[in-house]
Amino acid sequence: MSSASAWPPPPDRPPPPPGGGAPTRRRDRRTGVVVLAVLLAGALGIGAYLWVTTTRWQTHSAAWEEEARGYADQVASLDAELDATDAELVAAREQLATATARITDLANEKAQLGDENVASQQYLDYQRRVSEAAGVVTTALGDCVDAQSQLITYLEDRGSYDAKDLDRFASDVETLCRQASKANDQLEQELEQ
Amino acid sequence: MTRPGRARVAARGLRRAPVLLLAATLAGCAVLPSLPPAVPDDVVPTRVAPSARASLSPDGAEGLSPDGFDAVQRMAVRIRNVGCDGLSTGSGFAVDEHTLVTNRHVVADSESLEVSTYDGRDLAVSAAGSASLADLALVRTADPLPSHPTLADADPRPGDAVTVVGYPEGGELTITAGEVIGPTTDPLHENLGEVLLTDAPVEPGSSGSAALDEQGRVIGVVYAKTSDGRSLLVPLSTLERLLDDADGFRALPPCAQPSGQPSGRPSATPTR
Repeated sequence: MSSASAWPPPPDRPPPPPGGGAPTRRRDRRTGVVVLAVLLAGALGIGAYLWVTTTRWQTHSAAWEEEARGYADQVASLDAELDATDAELVAAREQLATATARITDLANEKAQLGDENVASQQYLDYQRRVSEAAGVVTTALGDCVDAQSQLITYLEDRGSYDAKDLDRFASDVETLCRQASKANDQLEQELEQ
Repeated sequence: MTRPGRARVAARGLRRAPVLLLAATLAGCAVLPSLPPAVPDDVVPTRVAPSARASLSPDGAEGLSPDGFDAVQRMAVRIRNVGCDGLSTGSGFAVDEHTLVTNRHVVADSESLEVSTYDGRDLAVSAAGSASLADLALVRTADPLPSHPTLADADPRPGDAVTVVGYPEGGELTITAGEVIGPTTDPLHENLGEVLLTDAPVEPGSSGSAALDEQGRVIGVVYAKTSDGRSLLVPLSTLERLLDDADGFRALPPCAQPSGQPSGRPSATPTR
């Protein structure tokens, strides 16, 4: 064995000083104790820190859970409100569509009534114009008859009147009767339409 | 190596141990979990993002007025032409607060013009003028028009979507859709230059209706219907050219009342 051959120490090395081994061992032991104490203190410190951390995180987690449950309740409540609001919105849209359709219908009815009113007014105006024209034609025909009667009277007493005047009057009567006849024809044509 | 040498090395190691231990402790502290932060009292955001708020608006509600009609419907007007010998109706649309565009033949030979809106309101007309180079007319209203669209940037191309809003047959406000077929020559010779042919259905009374693109912008004015059921538009370019030229419109001549009554009695009697 090599350890047997290494012991006792070779003679060329000086022997350790007398009494020097015991203090070294004591110092080593003290150092070991200090190291162990420091290790123990460190472990205790870390353990305490970890315990505090764990406790805090538990508290933190519980607070978040409580917060989350509160918000979950709010979400559920808001979901219910949203569903109700959606239903109201759908109903409101249907009402709006009905209302706009009704407004469109009413606007159309009003427009059609307006058209009918204008058409009626125009028809009344037409009737009035026709009546007025009929009156004018009647008057003109009457005037024609009167003028022709007057002309006959003048002709019966031809010698009392200037011949040129009589011719002019006869021409005027003819023009008047022609216009009256023409107006009468126009009126008849208008009435036939 | 001799035994005393090893002892010295061990003693040196023991002396270094506290230093190593302290270093290890400090390094270990770095990987220890930190303490939790305080739980906030309120985690609800105080302000809703604009995009999220916009997404809450009901579908299709952006263009709605408070009465539920969209801008396309509000800009359309019904025109009643009360003529001297009859009545006709047509359509039109606003181009600004007091001006509307329609066809010349819609307002021609009128004794008076009556304009009504989508909701049945009657608007007083203050003036009217028609263009000589196109079947277009402008009508000024004393009352403000409910809404007016913007004009498109350019004439539409074949295949573009077109929407026509007006009062076919003088009836209800109606919206029809189709596609632009392309430019063509005016078969009625009412317009200088080319007109547009579309397959959007129109009827008599649709004349003067606005033809709109997909963005609701004006791309033309309906003025006629072909025998095969297609519609003809005065293109936007013609409309813009006439709107830019104040002299392009002339006041409408009043219609003539029918006459032809006989004159009175002979103006004179023969003298004695």
